[in-house]
Amino acid sequence: MQEITRRTFVKGTAAVGGAAAAGKFLFASSPSLAQAEAAALASPIEDFIATTCWVGKQDCGMIARRIDGRVVMFEGNPTNPRNVGTLCPKGHAQIQALYDPNRVKWPLIRTNEKGVTGEWRRASWDEALDLVAASVKEVRDRDPKLVLWQKGRSKAKGFYDEAFVKAIGSSKLGHGAYCSDAGYRGVEYTIGTHAVLHPDFKYCNYMLSWGWNITNAGGNKFCWLTWPRHMVAARDRGMKIAHLDPRLRSAGPFADTWLPIRPGTDLAMALALCQQLIAQGYLDRPYLTTYTNSPYLVKPDGMFAKVTEGAGEEATEIPLVWDEATGRAMKFGEAESPALEGTFELDGEVVKPAFQLFMDHVADYTPEWAAGITGLTAAQIRTVAHDFGDNARIGATMIVDGVEVPYRPVGIMAYHMSQQELGFQTIRAMTIVPMLVGAVGAAGGQLSDFTWKIYKNYDKFEHLKVEDPPYDFMLNKSKFYPMNTGSPSVVAQVMMDPDRYEVEKLPEVAILHMVNPLNSFPSRKEFLESYGKFKHVAVISPWMSETADYFADVVLPAATIEKYEGPISATDAYVDAVTLRIPPMEPLFESRGEIDIYLDLCERIGVLYGEDGYLSNVNDQLKLTDTAFALDLEAMPEVRDIFDRWAHAQGIDEGVAFFEDPAKGVYVKGPVSPTKIYGYATDPPFGGAVHRLYGDSLLDAQRQMKEKGAEEIYWRDYTALPEWRSLTMDSSPSEYEFYLISYHQIEHKQSRTSFIPLLAELSPGSKLDMNPQSAARLGIADGDTVTVESHNAVTGETRSLVTRAALGEGIRPDTVAMPHHFGGWTHPQNKDQGASANKVMFLGEGYTTNTADQSFHVKVKVTKGGEL
Amino acid sequence: MATQTERHSTLPQRVGQMNGAWRLFVIGALAVLGFGIYSFWQEATQGMVVTGMRDVGTMGGATWGLYITMVVYFIGVSFAGITVAALIRIFNLDHLKPIARTAELLTVVSLILGGLAIIVDLGNPMRGVVNLFKYARPQSPFFGTFSLVVAGYLFSSLVYLYLGGRRDAARLAKSPSRLQWFHRLWAAGYADTPEERDRHDRASFWLAIAIVPLLVVAHSTLGFVFGLQVGRPGWYGTLQAPAFVALAGVSGIGHILILAAIVRKVTATPHRIGEAIFAWLGKFLLGMLLVYLYFMVVELLTLVYATPETEKRLSDALLTGEFAWIYWGSVAALVISAVVLIWQAVVRRWSVTWLVAVGVLANLAAIGKRYLIVVPSQTHGTLLPYDTGSYSPSVVEFGVIAGLFALGALLIGLFFKAFPALPIEDESEEVIANA
Amino acid sequence: MKYGMVVDLDRCQGCRACMEACKVENNTAQGHFWMYVFRYEEGSFPETQINFLPRPCQHCDNAPCVKVCPVGARFSREDGVVLTDADRCIGCRYCELACPYGVNYFNWRKPEKGQYEIVDWSDPDLEPVTGGAIPPYRNPDLDGLHGEEQRRTGGGSQAKGVMEKCTFCVQRIEKGLQPACVTTCPTDALVFGDKTDASTPVGRYLAEKRTWRLLEEAGTEPSVFYVGSRPPTHRSKEIERPKASV
Ligand SMILES: Nc1nc2c(c(=O)[nH]1)N[C@H]1C(S)=C(S)[C@@H](COP(=O)(O)OP(=O)(O)OC[C@H]3O[C@@H](n4cnc5c(=O)[nH]c(N)nc54)[C@H](O)[C@@H]3O)O[C@H]1N2
Ligand SMILES: Nc1nc2c(c(=O)[nH]1)N[C@H]1C(S)=C(S)[C@@H](COP(=O)(O)OP(=O)(O)OC[C@H]3O[C@@H](n4cnc5c(=O)[nH]c(N)nc54)[C@H](O)[C@@H]3O)O[C@H]1N2
Ligand code: SF4
Ligand code: SF4
Ligand code: SF4
Ligand code: SF4
Ligand code: SF4
Ligand SMILES: [Mo]
Repeated sequence: MQEITRRTFVKGTAAVGGAAAAGKFLFASSPSLAQAEAAALASPIEDFIATTCWVGKQDCGMIARRIDGRVVMFEGNPTNPRNVGTLCPKGHAQIQALYDPNRVKWPLIRTNEKGVTGEWRRASWDEALDLVAASVKEVRDRDPKLVLWQKGRSKAKGFYDEAFVKAIGSSKLGHGAYCSDAGYRGVEYTIGTHAVLHPDFKYCNYMLSWGWNITNAGGNKFCWLTWPRHMVAARDRGMKIAHLDPRLRSAGPFADTWLPIRPGTDLAMALALCQQLIAQGYLDRPYLTTYTNSPYLVKPDGMFAKVTEGAGEEATEIPLVWDEATGRAMKFGEAESPALEGTFELDGEVVKPAFQLFMDHVADYTPEWAAGITGLTAAQIRTVAHDFGDNARIGATMIVDGVEVPYRPVGIMAYHMSQQELGFQTIRAMTIVPMLVGAVGAAGGQLSDFTWKIYKNYDKFEHLKVEDPPYDFMLNKSKFYPMNTGSPSVVAQVMMDPDRYEVEKLPEVAILHMVNPLNSFPSRKEFLESYGKFKHVAVISPWMSETADYFADVVLPAATIEKYEGPISATDAYVDAVTLRIPPMEPLFESRGEIDIYLDLCERIGVLYGEDGYLSNVNDQLKLTDTAFALDLEAMPEVRDIFDRWAHAQGIDEGVAFFEDPAKGVYVKGPVSPTKIYGYATDPPFGGAVHRLYGDSLLDAQRQMKEKGAEEIYWRDYTALPEWRSLTMDSSPSEYEFYLISYHQIEHKQSRTSFIPLLAELSPGSKLDMNPQSAARLGIADGDTVTVESHNAVTGETRSLVTRAALGEGIRPDTVAMPHHFGGWTHPQNKDQGASANKVMFLGEGYTTNTADQSFHVKVKVTKGGEL
Repeated sequence: MATQTERHSTLPQRVGQMNGAWRLFVIGALAVLGFGIYSFWQEATQGMVVTGMRDVGTMGGATWGLYITMVVYFIGVSFAGITVAALIRIFNLDHLKPIARTAELLTVVSLILGGLAIIVDLGNPMRGVVNLFKYARPQSPFFGTFSLVVAGYLFSSLVYLYLGGRRDAARLAKSPSRLQWFHRLWAAGYADTPEERDRHDRASFWLAIAIVPLLVVAHSTLGFVFGLQVGRPGWYGTLQAPAFVALAGVSGIGHILILAAIVRKVTATPHRIGEAIFAWLGKFLLGMLLVYLYFMVVELLTLVYATPETEKRLSDALLTGEFAWIYWGSVAALVISAVVLIWQAVVRRWSVTWLVAVGVLANLAAIGKRYLIVVPSQTHGTLLPYDTGSYSPSVVEFGVIAGLFALGALLIGLFFKAFPALPIEDESEEVIANA
Repeated sequence: MKYGMVVDLDRCQGCRACMEACKVENNTAQGHFWMYVFRYEEGSFPETQINFLPRPCQHCDNAPCVKVCPVGARFSREDGVVLTDADRCIGCRYCELACPYGVNYFNWRKPEKGQYEIVDWSDPDLEPVTGGAIPPYRNPDLDGLHGEEQRRTGGGSQAKGVMEKCTFCVQRIEKGLQPACVTTCPTDALVFGDKTDASTPVGRYLAEKRTWRLLEEAGTEPSVFYVGSRPPTHRSKEIERPKASV
């Protein structure tokens, strides 16, 4: 007979006691306590499944820990190069969002008028989808373009929504006009890649953190934590950071030098840096002559001198350069030593190399000049230029994995700061800074996209065609915005006054997917007016977004993380990998994954099957067409099966199971070759793009715009070289003494997390960051309620909001700043969180870039007091 | 054959007689006690979230508040009672004998209240009562040493009170009354023969001697409770045991003065609790006051020249900040008390009214000072960059404390209804003997 | 073998992911931050410095909190971890007072009241999925007893009226896992392991880098070591405080 030792006895009783206690606590509110306790006693089953973050834009890899099928924790997936087993606060907190009973639980149909808080009745999926399908069908039969499909800061590869847009033939709006598209346009135009700017952290020694919210937000392309990981590694190597930002909080302790620049004046700074680099002799002439249009000869009319080769269809125009060896003009590429400087004569006309014009252009943009505009000192600007040029090691090369590439360990990180009135030209000028020292595409130098794939816009921008009215409601190819990002703000304006913009047809049906214009975009007023004009609005969202609350006829409950999505790039810029979002459990309530929703919707609209149907578009988007894994165009597929086919097409034999396996979850293709990372090393170099120092097509666009009678406010920024002009907002009366800027906080993601209690605990609500000096002058103390009134320098309109003052020395005294995550009202947690900066921002002329992108700057006055 | 009433009326000092005023007092006390119990019930069911206390640090609160303040205060009060009683015994101060029992009772009651104040401050009161003894760790200054000391201390004072009263009990036990059983119980066969008597006298004499060191330990540890906190600016060293003991004396004597005045009135014994006694108490109080005022000057200097910065933040809060009114209020109260006493000493006229007033003032000051020791170093004394905190007691806390005071009043009141407050005078001896 | 933690302030982004990881792993009550990350400011514009400082329990080798506990509910383990026995704690809060670092959190409320009540976790539509668990992601490892001494020391929200604080994630380390905050730190600013073994990452840090500890002068001998930056001073002004009220 075996005796029970005291130890085991204690253990035993303890276990029972523990479980019982647990039972009581766990199931405090459970009706069936008895069962619950029993359940607690039976040892729970633990398992794990791989998935990706639902909150952020870089879909970090996660492992979901499940107890009896209930997810209890998300942790980073160690095999994912982007986050290597780590997560940011949002990554952890999303577990509360998953279980949030305030989610839209089932399809809802509106029972009251629009433009006010919605009243709803529960509907079946059939009824709801039929309703949406019917209204889409009706409009589509007349004109598919009048169906507007809008998506916000989306996640994963948008293959299923691309397929939808193509199958319907609808118009499409994105979030880019509020994100960083002015920057994308600037970089696409200048070096051809579809991205903004980041340095090669592997080897960079000196970085300009230009409006990069280092410790809070994305920077170029990423959501957050990947860049900071690279940054700390680079700092371990000794990389220095000069931080250009009106706020120090963005860089926190990581700014070796803080340059508190005045908002909206970055173009002046960039131009002064160019002037100094030239003056201090930091020029990489070989790069400039070989890979940029600097040597192109420019005629007095500002256009390039070109010769036409071939005839008719074949005809191509080749720009001319001045060959100093032979002393005559030659085709670019054929000249031995193209001149960058000088004045020459060609066919009786005085011509100059683009670079000469550039030098003349920036000659007056001295540090002293820029100091007055940027609020920095001339000395500071000189030092930055010197450090940048000096660290660039012009002429040096290095061997990376056996490939020899130029070594220019200096670069810029910039992204969202392109959202300023002169955003497009600012980013152009900022891209030219590293160009001058030959750092673009060099080891340790200026990178942009993760590869040197040339984006379609690069060629499109060679000629910007301005057409005659009538224009489409996005004003594409219009005399207003010939280079056009496609902005919901513009659409809102057009919908309010089509005649003014010479538009005839307005959108009638809107499908809003993962977008919340009413809260996230400037400005609420216009969206309130315009979105009411849609005949029918369907919103696909897990929560009742503010936009849905006011304007949805139908709300279709999307799942949050409990759905299949992808493919998702998992590259960290140096290692290539791909992954999928895997549902860690069945969609909660009656919610469904978007792909399921689109499949059903398309079937009901009648565009699912057959040629050019949704399914065939899915095949195209996932590159399955004409492969063994292509979807059957006549059968409704299982969503999991779609990804299974995609996986097999990638040569992954386990198919989608590979990605569900917690031990794998990420398909790592291996390190990215230097011949992909470094522009000099690609074949052809820089993907074959000639970098545009000089933009004659912009000048050409300006001429066309004038011909079509566009007003100056539209054409003034279409200039061949980035030109500083005073900002519209600066003509607001002097009592509007502060620049209001906004920013992203590490604790929140746009407007989609402010209601997650764990995050609302860390960052409870809206605030106005203010320098104590200014606050003292206005008698404002930390935590006081303050009224912020903005002024539109064009229309004279004023708007105001109330929030709380947060005093700190880390901000310019002439600047105030707000996080942009708050201002919601549909979730109980949102009560009393305070207003969003978007409430007082303006859209339209003077607050929109020449590329139809939104500026996030406005002048405001701040007064103590106000009703929250 | 005498009637009930006649026979009862023979009990001295209105023992056993309940008039309207008495009933009113009991009802009032019970009402307040009831509210106290109700308040504690809320705390026990909902948790201490119903108090004003919160975590030190990120929550910006004080985790010890009014309760601990009152613990320190009550224990202080107990000190005086037993000291006086012991002094009387050791030095045979016969002229003070009439207030000896009052002093002893004060000790017992305030110790009980102090103990209860500890219990209500626990997150797990029931578990506390058990574990404090089951797992007692003498190394832990407060609840360890201290609760043990309080227990021992309470026990010995009870014994002391018991012995001191036994003789009177024996006398009363002889006269029939509704309380006879109680007096018999107390007398427990004591017949007050000469040899019994001096065995008694010796016993309680040695007990008195023994109590003194116990006293010192108890109050010193209380000083250490705060004194040994490295993590709390304002505590380390600030509250040395002596200063603590001095203030304890002040509050305790103050209480004896008040009680003496009351007893004197309700038992109609001005002839026995005469001016001499008040004079003596007044001088004793003055002595204690002067000692304490000396410590305060020292403390003030350390505050004014407070360094480092962390201490400075604290002293600013005390001298000029949100606690200034309590700080200077207490100082004023103590100084005024001292002045009044000095004046009376000079003119050699001791007015009971004035002395009672002083007693009240001194006790308010004492509570204020205890509060300032407990709270500010939590809300203003964090060494990491936590924001300054705040604490204000909630209704529940006030309720519980009011309840404790009511309980104390009730205990004293009831006791003196059941037993004479003053030793019975000798001539009455015969009366009983011949009966 | 003694556990220790290194906090590399040259890497810390002040992102507070460690705080969230801790809350989800340990189910601590609203307003309780076993891990807390200070964000603070010094100097005045434009000579401003902003710094971050994560603050778990320092698991002091000479822990005042342990010394003062009247019932031995707060105790130090052989391996240097300082824990609280939820079954023995009487809630006197003396440890909290004795601790110079302000890392202790008392259960002022009933545990289920502390779980972010703004959201109704008892919603009947959730019940089938969560079994009524509060919070729905309640970590089962926190129930039951831990370590050699088999005491109830794991995780938060154990019971009303008991003291709690960072446990170095006992329930994880006994499984051979790293603490939740350490695992999640995006920039590997937190390092955990045997501080007596020079071959562990912690040991290597201690050997190779200049480290300092919080309030050395208090003589508490913390097991948490800081690298880089410098200790906050009285001039440090905290910014961006979370909502920490109960
Ligand atoms: N935690 C978190 N991370 C995010 C997001 C989020 O919502 N939350 N959003 C993601 C998305 S969609 C994007 S687009 C990225 C954005 O990534 P970032 O661009 O890095 O983030 P922002 O907060 O927009 O950064 C704006 C910074 O520029 C500064 N700034 C404002 N105006 C000016 C100016 O005129 N000149 C200069 N030099 N600086 C200026 C602000 O002070 C702020 O520090 O972040 C991504 N990552
Ligand atoms: N003032 C100011 N405004 C800004 C910014 C700023 O810096 N300052 N940042 C701008 C930037 S960078 C961007 S990218 C935009 C982003 O703005 P948006 O793209 O509008 O992002 P959100 O505000 O998060 O809105 C997303 C909506 O989608 C819903 N949603 C969340 N998850 C899902 C899902 O899984 N499926 C579906 N179907 N719906 C979901 C949410 O309920 C929410 O209503 O905001 C811009 N707004
Ligand atoms: S960085 Fe973005 S994607 Fe990664 S975990 Fe955080 S929110 Fe999710
Ligand atoms: S998670 Fe890491 S980086 Fe973020 S605050 Fe905590 S320690 Fe610092
Ligand atoms: S930090 Fe405080 S709680 Fe933690 S061990 Fe040290 S003294 Fe105890
Ligand atoms: S609160 Fe609990 S752990 Fe802390 S000292 Fe008191 S009994 Fe010990
Ligand atoms: S070690 Fe565990 S308990 Fe301690 S702070 Fe980190 S996560 Fe929280
Ligand atoms: Mo964005």
